[in-house]
Amino acid sequence: MRLRWWGHGFMWLAGLVLLMPILVVSAAALNGGRSMLFPPEDPTLARFGEFFVSEPVWREALWNSVVIALSSAALAVLLAWPAAYFIWKSSDRLSRVIAGLMAMPFAVPPIVFGVGLGFMWAFTGGLGTIWAGILSHAALFAALPLVTISIGLQGIDRAHLDAAATMGATEGIAFRTIVLPQTIPYTISGFFFAMVLSFNEFIVIFFVSSSSYATVTLQIFNSLRNGFTPTMAVGAIAFILVSVAAFSLVARFGDLPRLMGADQTRR
Amino acid sequence: MSASAAEEAASAPGPAHTDASGAALRLGLLAVLLVLCLVPFLFVLAISFGHKIEGAGWEFGFEFTHYARFFFGAAWPESFSQLYWQRLGYSVYFAAIAAVLAVALAFPFTYFLTRLSRLGQTIWLVILLSSLSLSEVFIVMGWDILLSARSGLPALLDALGITDWTKEIGWFRWFRDVGLASPRNFKFKTSGFATVLTMAYLVWPYAVILLYPALSRLDPSLIEAARTMGARPLTVTRTVILPLVRLPLVGSSLLLFVFLLGTYVTVTVFADPSQHTLAVSIYDSVRGSTLNAPFGAAQSVILLVAAGGFLLAGRRLSAAAAS
Repeated sequence: MRLRWWGHGFMWLAGLVLLMPILVVSAAALNGGRSMLFPPEDPTLARFGEFFVSEPVWREALWNSVVIALSSAALAVLLAWPAAYFIWKSSDRLSRVIAGLMAMPFAVPPIVFGVGLGFMWAFTGGLGTIWAGILSHAALFAALPLVTISIGLQGIDRAHLDAAATMGATEGIAFRTIVLPQTIPYTISGFFFAMVLSFNEFIVIFFVSSSSYATVTLQIFNSLRNGFTPTMAVGAIAFILVSVAAFSLVARFGDLPRLMGADQTRR
Repeated sequence: MSASAAEEAASAPGPAHTDASGAALRLGLLAVLLVLCLVPFLFVLAISFGHKIEGAGWEFGFEFTHYARFFFGAAWPESFSQLYWQRLGYSVYFAAIAAVLAVALAFPFTYFLTRLSRLGQTIWLVILLSSLSLSEVFIVMGWDILLSARSGLPALLDALGITDWTKEIGWFRWFRDVGLASPRNFKFKTSGFATVLTMAYLVWPYAVILLYPALSRLDPSLIEAARTMGARPLTVTRTVILPLVRLPLVGSSLLLFVFLLGTYVTVTVFADPSQHTLAVSIYDSVRGSTLNAPFGAAQSVILLVAAGGFLLAGRRLSAAAAS
């Protein structure tokens, strides 16, 4: 069944509304003055220099964001891999408990998890340290690589594993030669999902950082009292570009519709 | 012979060894996840019964003062206040409207999306995921400009003459009465309208992603059969598609509702202080102006219980409807 013109019209309209705030913010980054006007007045690219080079506040915030996003995504994948593998091998009660625990921070209002993590790190002395932020984000987003890696594992034909076993391959060899190569795209997708979401996360890192360091999202929120400025809008552009690049890579090297749960039989 | 015996001896512990290390790995993973994913919630629960020390922090204890403060107000038993009930009410009110709105608008979009080619779907999914992951602070920033009096929607309505037109036909008074206009011009900050709009925008891509699997598995032959039998597109939607995806629709609305209960930045920027939600109140207690961690914890527990209650009720309702 072909999509009719009003179907396309509705999609384009929705896409326009979806892009509108992003376009407006991007344009506001060009403002020459200190206020966020649209259309921009006295357009200049000076704000890009401020954000990436000359203002240490933003440079440090960007560095913290990058460190936390990359490390927490790597850690989330490290936590999710064995969990996904165990569930795939044998879905007994212990495996299900592990999966349930990983999904839990994702299923509650994030502010409650943030408050709880803040209490826990205050108790253990980790409050305000970068590594506590990394661990917190890893816990929050481990569910994403868990899902993508599980989808990858489900796509493996068990007949291949049986064949490998009859030909004398140990579990380790079968894992290296069959399981690992087929799941690498899904692992990388999971990493990107966790990384992009950690990069943009605000409320959990707010309670965990305890104002002793700032990520870009935190720095923007801290400056909110004085209103939004065009320099922050540069941050928004940078973040959007990172997201688009990450998800385009996922789409290029993996099967995005399948990851999102599309039907496999139809093209 | 001795060589094969040695081989046997070496290989025999092999599987047993991997099993043992597998079990150890599983238990280790379980321990790490218990600490990272469960213990924070236990801290919230324990501290909600804690004791607040005036002018200082708090200590562990077992008292119900903070729950009593939520249920009856700070000055109880002298006087009763429903302030925190009201906050919870606004949390539920904003989150419910925004979640239903987002799912209702995402449903036709997702349906059309699943009819596109594989490449078309992939491109849209990249756009959707990028928008979905965009931080709440950036989204609030965008809508802040779009709704601002100087360069946003009010200025546009003014320039197009719509403001004067609504004044002429007398509708402007209505906008003023519901708080969407100042005496002279339209004004969307601060208002419930701006809050719900931004919240719905925030979760709309999530709604599409959640509905996508169900709608893409919809059997096209069912729809074609109904069409060949002469049913109009709207009738097909009502009698064939909607009953098939009712469960995912209800499920994703509930999930997004729970997610939105914790919205913080949108509410602080766009909602009037009299309409602030429990999330703002939790923030104020834990890190903000009032500094009362046990009370913040108690409010978090109540928010969690409320969220759990709604999820359970929703499940019961949809299970009852399905049977």
